[in-house]
Amino acid sequence: MVSLGIIANPASGKDIRRLVAHSITFNNQEKVNIVQRAILGMEKVGIKKIMYMPDYYGIVPRALDGLPNSYHLHVQLVEANMEMTGTQEDSTQAAEIMNQSGAGCIFTLGGDGTNRMVAKGCGEVPLLPISTGTNNVFPQMLEGTTAGIAAGIVARGLIKKDAAVKKMKKIEVLKDGQLVDMALVDAVVLKDVFIGSRAIWDEERIQQVVVTRGDPISIGISAIAGNLQLVEINDKYGMAINIGPGKTTVMVPIAPGLIKQIPIKDYQLINPGEEIKVAQGPCVIALDGEREIEVGENDNYSLKISLNGPRVIDTRLALREAVAKGLFISEQLIKTS
Amino acid sequence: MAENKEKLLEMYTTMVRIRTFEQKAIDLFAAGKFPGFVHSYLGEEAIAAGVCSNLRKDDYICSTHRGHGHLIAKGGNLQLMMAELFGKATGYCKGKGGSMHIADVDLGILGANGIVGAGMPIATGAAFACKYRKSDSVAIAFFGDGASDRATFHESLNLASIWKLPVVFICENNGWAISNAQTSHQNITDISDRATAYGIPGVSVDGNDVVAIAEAADAAIERARKGDGPTLVECKTWRHRGHFEGDPAIYKDPKDQEEWLADNKDAIARMEKKLVGLKYAGQDYLDKIKAEVREEVEAAVQFAEQSPDPEPAEVLTDVYTA
Repeated sequence: MVSLGIIANPASGKDIRRLVAHSITFNNQEKVNIVQRAILGMEKVGIKKIMYMPDYYGIVPRALDGLPNSYHLHVQLVEANMEMTGTQEDSTQAAEIMNQSGAGCIFTLGGDGTNRMVAKGCGEVPLLPISTGTNNVFPQMLEGTTAGIAAGIVARGLIKKDAAVKKMKKIEVLKDGQLVDMALVDAVVLKDVFIGSRAIWDEERIQQVVVTRGDPISIGISAIAGNLQLVEINDKYGMAINIGPGKTTVMVPIAPGLIKQIPIKDYQLINPGEEIKVAQGPCVIALDGEREIEVGENDNYSLKISLNGPRVIDTRLALREAVAKGLFISEQLIKTS
Repeated sequence: MAENKEKLLEMYTTMVRIRTFEQKAIDLFAAGKFPGFVHSYLGEEAIAAGVCSNLRKDDYICSTHRGHGHLIAKGGNLQLMMAELFGKATGYCKGKGGSMHIADVDLGILGANGIVGAGMPIATGAAFACKYRKSDSVAIAFFGDGASDRATFHESLNLASIWKLPVVFICENNGWAISNAQTSHQNITDISDRATAYGIPGVSVDGNDVVAIAEAADAAIERARKGDGPTLVECKTWRHRGHFEGDPAIYKDPKDQEEWLADNKDAIARMEKKLVGLKYAGQDYLDKIKAEVREEVEAAVQFAEQSPDPEPAEVLTDVYTA
């Protein structure tokens, strides 16, 4: 049985926000290095079999290739048996396969957009998301080695999952009342007609925002909510905001290094299931920072908060729980647990 | 930009003009109507159209051996281009240059180029001139994935980054360096990654989505105009034809070829569907554009065919300077 999955997106961290904002380019070799360190961490806590998503760069094979010849890795790595499309759908398909293969955790590298695609396929398998994207509200900035150790500990069940795994909220996108898509952090309705280069950076195009969370520490759209009123991960509600002159304005880091004054027409906390109607098309819905859905003038879309999002490992809590159990005192303990 | 209907239709028309010209050139070359070489730009039309839609007449471009698309998008005269392909005295280079050497300095077209990767230092030099003259003009260097392995690429990015020159490097990554797949000549897949080595921004975009390209180019060109320095933009695309006309391209996987030529990937088919869907244009209007472009191209062929050959006495004219 597969003990753990790795989904590393080679396309994350390269969109045009490197030009219109001050985002960094996350080159693929850095992703290779993170994965290499994570695998070594996973190995040390007794993970025996890892399944990984194939990708056009070959992030995992390169991570293995980069190990010294003298190093004998005691982990079997298998590629998920799937037809690669080179699109974001690969992440969803890989997550589905890992879920079906019994993975105890899926370790992801990407931004909010990548994790959104993984969340569509992972079911109840907890995620450990490492940030290598542009808008990184959902994933965490973590060191690969310790994140790998935490992922391994949770995947093997060495600690109680309840101690370190949290259920997240999500936004459901409905067309004529039927579920057609989802977002983890934010859904934004834009005065636009094309998906184009996908990125959002022009605040004047934003019409409506729905978020699952809002924290002033965040970057991007969810910071609009965060700078109005805190919406925590654990809160059983989200927020809907109409953008435009009216109630107030709020200062927001809309993209890395890009801080704008956003006019707020009104905003409200919304309960799960409460539907927010999307403005009449033509317009575009962006999900987790990327333009995804082109809305025609006769289309009927709505957005609502759901409490049934993916499960995510809190790395800090997982490692602290492992310490409390004395797992790091002796390697023997990990071997026999 | 996306709501600018006129600009969208202009980009569409430019793509159609490039495709129609290229298809005609292929047919004429196969029929033995003119000598030399043809490196077709079919499949990559969105890049030239998207990038050049953001340029002014006083901006510069440096093109490649696969350069017809760039020249057309920057406003090149189809009749003079076709006459040059035919080797006629009325052509852009008086019939002496052929497909790979067309230039029009008045339009800021500093030349196609028969040498892979040779346009980048020229564009960098043009960008230096723009900065030295304190103008806000910019220079664009078009090149392919193969050229990004050449020293000229690295030297140009290095110098441009040190001097913060107003140049945008547009890499047309069509997956093939002549007959070598990208995987056989590069240890990376995203050429935009190379920008980090020079401390400049690098982005990758769908090279068959004219809107995505125009957005990225617009942002990069604005950076350059404001004095914020160079940018590397990688456009991922596919060359419909072989390296040159006559190359059967047996090294390509037919399945890949079929996928890239399908309507859901082809830049022109995608744009056409979108324009009709948004009611920015009816199909009949788009068909009218195609018909008008066909007439333009036919007129160019007629002009070329009816033009005189260069006089033998002209063989050394413009070759040497005093």
